[in-house]
Amino acid sequence: MDNPKKIFKMGLWEDNPVLVQIIGICSALAVTNLMMNSLIMGIGLIFVTGLSSFTVSSIRTFTPKHIRMMVQVLIIAAYVIIVDIFLKAYMPEMSKALGPYVGLIITNCIIMGRAEAYAQQNPPIPSFLDGVASGMGYTLVLLLIAFFRELFGFGTVFGIKVLGDWWTPWTIMIMPPAAFFLLAVAIWVSKTIQDKEKDEKKGQVVNS
Amino acid sequence: MKKSFSFPIIFMIVITAFFTFILAFLNYSTADKIALNQEIDLSRKILYIFDILPESDNPKEIVAVFQDRIESTPYGDHEIFIYKDEAGEIQGYAVPVNGPGLWGSVEGYIGISSDYSTVLGLDFISHSETPGLGGRISEDDYKGQFRGLDLSDVVDDNYIIYRPAPGGNVDAIAGATLTSKSVSKLINEDLGHFFREGGNR
Repeated sequence: MDNPKKIFKMGLWEDNPVLVQIIGICSALAVTNLMMNSLIMGIGLIFVTGLSSFTVSSIRTFTPKHIRMMVQVLIIAAYVIIVDIFLKAYMPEMSKALGPYVGLIITNCIIMGRAEAYAQQNPPIPSFLDGVASGMGYTLVLLLIAFFRELFGFGTVFGIKVLGDWWTPWTIMIMPPAAFFLLAVAIWVSKTIQDKEKDEKKGQVVNS
Repeated sequence: MKKSFSFPIIFMIVITAFFTFILAFLNYSTADKIALNQEIDLSRKILYIFDILPESDNPKEIVAVFQDRIESTPYGDHEIFIYKDEAGEIQGYAVPVNGPGLWGSVEGYIGISSDYSTVLGLDFISHSETPGLGGRISEDDYKGQFRGLDLSDVVDDNYIIYRPAPGGNVDAIAGATLTSKSVSKLINEDLGHFFREGGNR
């Protein structure tokens, strides 16, 4: 069993789904114009990835290998519908704001990716943690992008006015192109740092 | 594991039945809550249109005022809400306005005074315009402008005209020209229709 620390380190940084694996970016581009939307979307995804990985893993020994994909999709769909129903019943405003994106969590490659790459070979508890870690990695990147988009686009953070009236909102930040630019910058920066980290590690090995 | 023919089928049926059961149960147990949410949402918006929204945001109070003051009658595929004061006198009508926005259909209601001379208010039930741009039609800055608009000397169904055009009475949203235009168009069309149907103009 992998230790939780390593799982989280992989999900949040070294193997971050958005920055390194470049998956799940469709929704990362779509819901990042407001931080609140990103946060709720991220929580929804953490919930779905964690629990679906857990479920896939707990029935992995009974699941016939050639129909495992069907089973995974079924499990993921069930959890996504649960999130959708929950938002509609208890957070109607948020449900409206996220609109079709909640239903689209199901097509988010991260969930199926984790189910296929990790949960299929590992016991339930580490799988659950792995799902949560990947979901959190996704959420943090979304929040980072949303922070800049909301700040420059509206002058607010989580709906609270930060920049005064002198600030002219950059309309492009609210539009989809801004998400492309910011995501690219985020990948660029993280890639640079990660390469440096790797070089340092190599250096250490040689020195010792 | 040996590849068997029937096991995968049975497995799939069992697991599908299991999850379907869970979802059906959840759906059943929250159906009332969701319907109530939608009803409260509609009540709140209709009361906002007539500017008689209670100060507290308590759903019970909102529904109580709504049931006390508002009646509805069928109108085409939709409903018209009629606002009556304490004496039972008709104070105004909330007329449904629907049409295409920039991205999807926009649905809302516009309140008209009982003598058809003034706009009481405007609110949107649903739309899918870009948040922060066209989506701002549902913010007070935009829809608040419609409160108290004088309609007495309007020609050719041009009830809503954006400034700075001659006769302009409201401001469009900067950066959301197409949404603004769609909204004025659908309001003008549906209001014109309502006034002709009503026959009092």
